[in-house]
Amino acid sequence: MKAIKSQAELESLRKKLSKKLNPKVKIVRVCIGTGCAAKGSKRLYELLCEAAKEAGENIKVEAKCVGCHGFCERGPIIVIQPGNIIYQRVEEPDVGEIFRETVLGGRVVERLLYEDPKSGKKAKTEEEIPFYRAQQRIVLAENGRIDPTSIEDYLIAGGYGALSKVLNGMSPDEIIKEVELAGLRGRGGGGFPTARKWRSCREAEGSDKYVICNGDEGDPGAFMDRSIMEGNPHSVLEGMIIGAYAIGASQGYIYVRNEYPLAVEHLRKAISQARELGLLGENILDSGFSFDIRINRGGGAFVCGESTALMASLEGRAGEPRAKYVHTVEKGLNEKPTNLNNVETWTNIPAIINRGGKWFASIGTEGSKGTKVFSLVGKVVNTGLVEVPMGMTLRQIVEEIGGGVKEGKKFKAVQTGGPSGGCIPAKHLDARVDFDELTKLGSMMGSGGMIVMDEDTCMVNVAHYFLNFLKEESCGKCTPCREGIAQMLYILDRITRGEGESGDIEKLETLAGLLDETALCALGTTAANPILSTIRYFRDEYKEHIAENRCPAKVCRNLFLYEINAEVCTGCGICKKNCPEIAITGERREPHVIDQEKCTKCGTCFEKCPFTAIMKV
Amino acid sequence: MPTVTIDGVVVKVEEGSTILDAARETGIWIPTLCYNPSVSAPAVCRLCMVELERGKRKQLVTACNYPVRSDIKVSVSSKRAVRARRGVMELLLARAPESEELKELAARMGVEGTPYPKVTESQRNCILCGLCTSVCEEVIGCSAIGFAGRGVDRAVATPFRLASDECIACGACAVVCPVGTIQLRIHEDTGEVEISPFKSRAKLLFCEECGRRMVTEPLAKQILSKVKIDWEEFRERARLCPECRRKKTAEALGLIASKSH
Repeated sequence: MKAIKSQAELESLRKKLSKKLNPKVKIVRVCIGTGCAAKGSKRLYELLCEAAKEAGENIKVEAKCVGCHGFCERGPIIVIQPGNIIYQRVEEPDVGEIFRETVLGGRVVERLLYEDPKSGKKAKTEEEIPFYRAQQRIVLAENGRIDPTSIEDYLIAGGYGALSKVLNGMSPDEIIKEVELAGLRGRGGGGFPTARKWRSCREAEGSDKYVICNGDEGDPGAFMDRSIMEGNPHSVLEGMIIGAYAIGASQGYIYVRNEYPLAVEHLRKAISQARELGLLGENILDSGFSFDIRINRGGGAFVCGESTALMASLEGRAGEPRAKYVHTVEKGLNEKPTNLNNVETWTNIPAIINRGGKWFASIGTEGSKGTKVFSLVGKVVNTGLVEVPMGMTLRQIVEEIGGGVKEGKKFKAVQTGGPSGGCIPAKHLDARVDFDELTKLGSMMGSGGMIVMDEDTCMVNVAHYFLNFLKEESCGKCTPCREGIAQMLYILDRITRGEGESGDIEKLETLAGLLDETALCALGTTAANPILSTIRYFRDEYKEHIAENRCPAKVCRNLFLYEINAEVCTGCGICKKNCPEIAITGERREPHVIDQEKCTKCGTCFEKCPFTAIMKV
Repeated sequence: MPTVTIDGVVVKVEEGSTILDAARETGIWIPTLCYNPSVSAPAVCRLCMVELERGKRKQLVTACNYPVRSDIKVSVSSKRAVRARRGVMELLLARAPESEELKELAARMGVEGTPYPKVTESQRNCILCGLCTSVCEEVIGCSAIGFAGRGVDRAVATPFRLASDECIACGACAVVCPVGTIQLRIHEDTGEVEISPFKSRAKLLFCEECGRRMVTEPLAKQILSKVKIDWEEFRERARLCPECRRKKTAEALGLIASKSH
């Protein structure tokens, strides 16, 4: 494609592309997001392409790869236009039937539709599925609709309209005012007002300025930014170009994890397409504004999500944070004024410019505007990517969108904010999701990880898990983080082994408080959260571990036994056969017995017993 | 010039000075470990925490690198600051319980021992303050040592933990080490000096006149390359010990004096 030199040329190209769309062409959209791709959706796409080729000349069918639809639990997902019929859990043998019945015949394949487990109703379109109904999609609006590798698709959807709008009639100050009016706050975890950051960077002394997109998403169970970069990379670029124009930056970097190869590939493609069209590079749309973006792949260190560590890594040094008494908007990358925002923050920008800050601010709560993308995972029926307006209650997200806890078990807690976040118990399920509310509850918004836990979860073990993660990811630069986390983990180790002592809880609280006060970066200061929040809401569970050597959830191996209920055991011998330690004895058709001396509590018998005769006591 | 009020004592300092600079001006003591004025402050030991008051907000900051840009109020003796410094010291004592230097500093801070067990391995009491690596890089210009590993596995080491050719065995790292982790070992048999625990060795020079032990060979070379004096006799005298050098210089001066007569 030829480079575009003005707003008019962009609009005429958009018109031309839209005109080319033939309404008679049937489109089959195949999700190639991480979850669906893992379940073989790429192969489905290939099969559909082959079928489309063989369909004959009078019927035009186009198979399209699209980004994550969000409903990962039900992947691979295929959506067929016309009708926007959504099929879930599609497998290779289904492709023929889908093509024959739906694409060619216009009939619905009932068995591939989503069935609401509560009402038993089948849903034909996304709108009819409760998982989607309560969501409001701004960031993910085009995810699942456009081909992420096609700039044409993005343009047809109105892409780069916001960029052309700001370059033709908005001053940098007006842009920043619009973002301020929107009340947008950083989506990476801190929740710092975006406009204020931009303004500080704009006003900072120095001619060379940078903008950075932080795509170093590292929280366990989080894939929000990944899905955006994979599913709609141009929206990230457009946000960054607008931001760079507002700030006065001429170079941008996207720092993305190397473990996200598809995101890297799609971003690379998007950057070269944008360059070719003249939307990146010298004199963009003849505005006199020049800006370019480079990709930097991160090596997988969690601490590199911290802005100063990320910048050190970009400079080629070890990814370790530094003190932020002099802010990065004044002295950041290469000691130059640098504005860093998270992927989701950048993606919100085009929508704010297009529809106005006032519109954006009409969504959400007093202090938190707009929507937030969460990756809903754990013991919840509908795992996946959800975007909800700020202010929605945790209950709505877990029960309405998530469909409640798996296997009808009891809800125990929801963990938000990643390893630096905290666990929120059932009594606070009606809390509204917003930056300040979650912080008040001892957790945080973080970048949007949301892990649902059921009654079988041991909260001490959860704290242990997250702390162990942080111990592995601590860079070791400052004393409190390096030594403090190790000390806390040592205590938790003892407690989960049944060697807890009285005073341990208080010691944990002291250490957590110390980290919060003295650590160098946010990884260290927030490392206290998993401990403090679990102690705050589940103190009794800690006490039971310490005083009674009991793990109420029966997770900590040293604190419970496996026993065979002689009344239920049929003596089938399955447990005996599967026990790797040969700890189970018993005659056929006679109740079996576990030798506690030999049992390592691996849980194999518990899982294998068809009669649930094995109990945790 | 902005004013810093530390525990009620008022002092004016240059803009950009640190709280520690201001405190030293007033004579108020703030414990430090990883701070040395000759290198940039990494602020990693976290022992110099003080409480900063800004309007209604109070926060703990590290005195060694917090830049004074406007009038500020600082408390070194506040309960919160003392508690934070004590906590950090207790963690350090748990890491390096045998360090006499650390114990002495702790005692001066009023910290007697630690409630925590030793859970992290420290090489000969190393507290990972980073002064050795900073001096080697910023002052000496060798970068022969650096940090290896992450988290609790972090350690100061040469590349691949092998004796390093970059090391000129100048001993600057040993001089700045606050806990005596780094030591110089003289090997009389081979006429070498070893920087322990890094295993790097260098040949020692002996005075050509009296045979006394001097600096290492690579260090002398580095001095000659950095101190650019285009005077052949200076280069020759570098092979002498300071005493013999003085003698030679005096002789030379005498020679020059007699010639001028």
